[in-house]
Amino acid sequence: MSRGSGAGYDRHITIFSPEGRLFQVEYAFKAVKAAGITSIGVRGKDSVCVVTQKKVPDKLLDQSSVSHLFPVTKYLGLLATGMTADSRSLVQQARNEAAEFRFQYGYEMPADILAKWIADKSQVYTQHAYMRPLGVVAMVLGIDEERGPLLYKCDPAGHFYGHKATSAGMKEQEAVNFLEKKMKENPAFTYDETVQTAISALQSVLQEDFKATEIEVGVVRADDPLFRSLRTEEIDEHLTAISERD
Amino acid sequence: MGDSQYSFSLTTFSPSGKLVQIEHALTAVGSGQTSLGIKASNGVVIATEKKLPSILVDEASVQKIQHLTPNIGTVYSGMGPDFRVLVRKSRKQAEQYLRLYKEPIPVTQLVRETATVMQEFTQSGGVRPFGVSLLVAGYDDKGPQLYQVDPSGSYFSWKASAMGKNVSNAKTFLEKRYTEDMELDDAIHTAILTLKEGFEGEISSKNIEIGKIGTDKVFRVLTPAEIDDYLAEVE
Repeated sequence: MSRGSGAGYDRHITIFSPEGRLFQVEYAFKAVKAAGITSIGVRGKDSVCVVTQKKVPDKLLDQSSVSHLFPVTKYLGLLATGMTADSRSLVQQARNEAAEFRFQYGYEMPADILAKWIADKSQVYTQHAYMRPLGVVAMVLGIDEERGPLLYKCDPAGHFYGHKATSAGMKEQEAVNFLEKKMKENPAFTYDETVQTAISALQSVLQEDFKATEIEVGVVRADDPLFRSLRTEEIDEHLTAISERD
Repeated sequence: MGDSQYSFSLTTFSPSGKLVQIEHALTAVGSGQTSLGIKASNGVVIATEKKLPSILVDEASVQKIQHLTPNIGTVYSGMGPDFRVLVRKSRKQAEQYLRLYKEPIPVTQLVRETATVMQEFTQSGGVRPFGVSLLVAGYDDKGPQLYQVDPSGSYFSWKASAMGKNVSNAKTFLEKRYTEDMELDDAIHTAILTLKEGFEGEISSKNIEIGKIGTDKVFRVLTPAEIDDYLAEVE
């Protein structure tokens, strides 16, 4: 298969395989799944919510230091699914870019602009040999002054799409199937519905009932556009509401 | 930036004298969504399928047809992320021309600049070619123009062309339907019919995009409502 395309280099650097595919990029997608974590994002009528699993590998670890939710600015959240080290470096650069944007243009960076910036960076890693792609899928959430709640997803291939709801990680496909059913009629979810749809989607695809400490929930709301992570007690309230509803 | 390690070209001649990376890039284009363009007597239309990976994607957040200048638009088949890079570079070229000469860049020149970038990526160190073919539609002092640019950096002016998954069927269809005296509205109808030919599923204003430019020399992407009107006319 690799004959003629440089003795199999198509597996090591980002050049085309005979089928016109980019193996390195496909492997990066696998790396995201291999991290073993699933994330969900849901956009409501006046809020956005992202949920991910929080797996603390060791009892002695400080719980608060294990997180995939990052504030990029006060108003923009980023949920990274995949390789933690890659996401830390990405977030650091994103924060710098967002601050630079604020300084240059005098207003906060919108979510779609950040998503495009991340995707443009990822594209470079799919075309140039000097760096590998990032093993990260990033969801960006924020409230846009003109367009309302925004949820974007950026992947290692350099795609970025706005979503009504989406998923990333190990059980992405299962979660997408679940969410497609929920979102078919374009429901305009309230804040509580948004959060609870996201959490119950994750519970459903993983077939487990979470404790509040086992997940992370990040939200932005139109009436208070600051990005924040929910406290354990708040998550608990939603979990109770979900179990009472079912 | 650490790229010195790969200062050699990745696109090299095979023993038979072919540049296989370019051929593979064309394979990537050939498996992309269908796009097409038609040059009419009084304008140009470009159109493309917009099939999204899931109904969860907000179709309003995706715009496949892009402006390069107010009077030049472009669309692609192949890899979306690569297209963004080319659009950004082309817009910058157009802007630099405008700054230097105080007049909009002619279509031919912008196409040449874009094709140059694509050629450079077939010969520079440590990079692969672009996985996209472009259709560029513009209207300037030389009248309506339609160009196709390929990953190798070669480009040609077309009366009508298609690329992507359904090239051969679409091109045969266009050859049958095309006439020299076609007007813009006819061309739009033909564009829709051509897309319809190889379309899997129901065609609607949500899963295609159309861009047009007429004698007013303003390139415009049609709104979903306008596409619906044209679809109704085609029925």
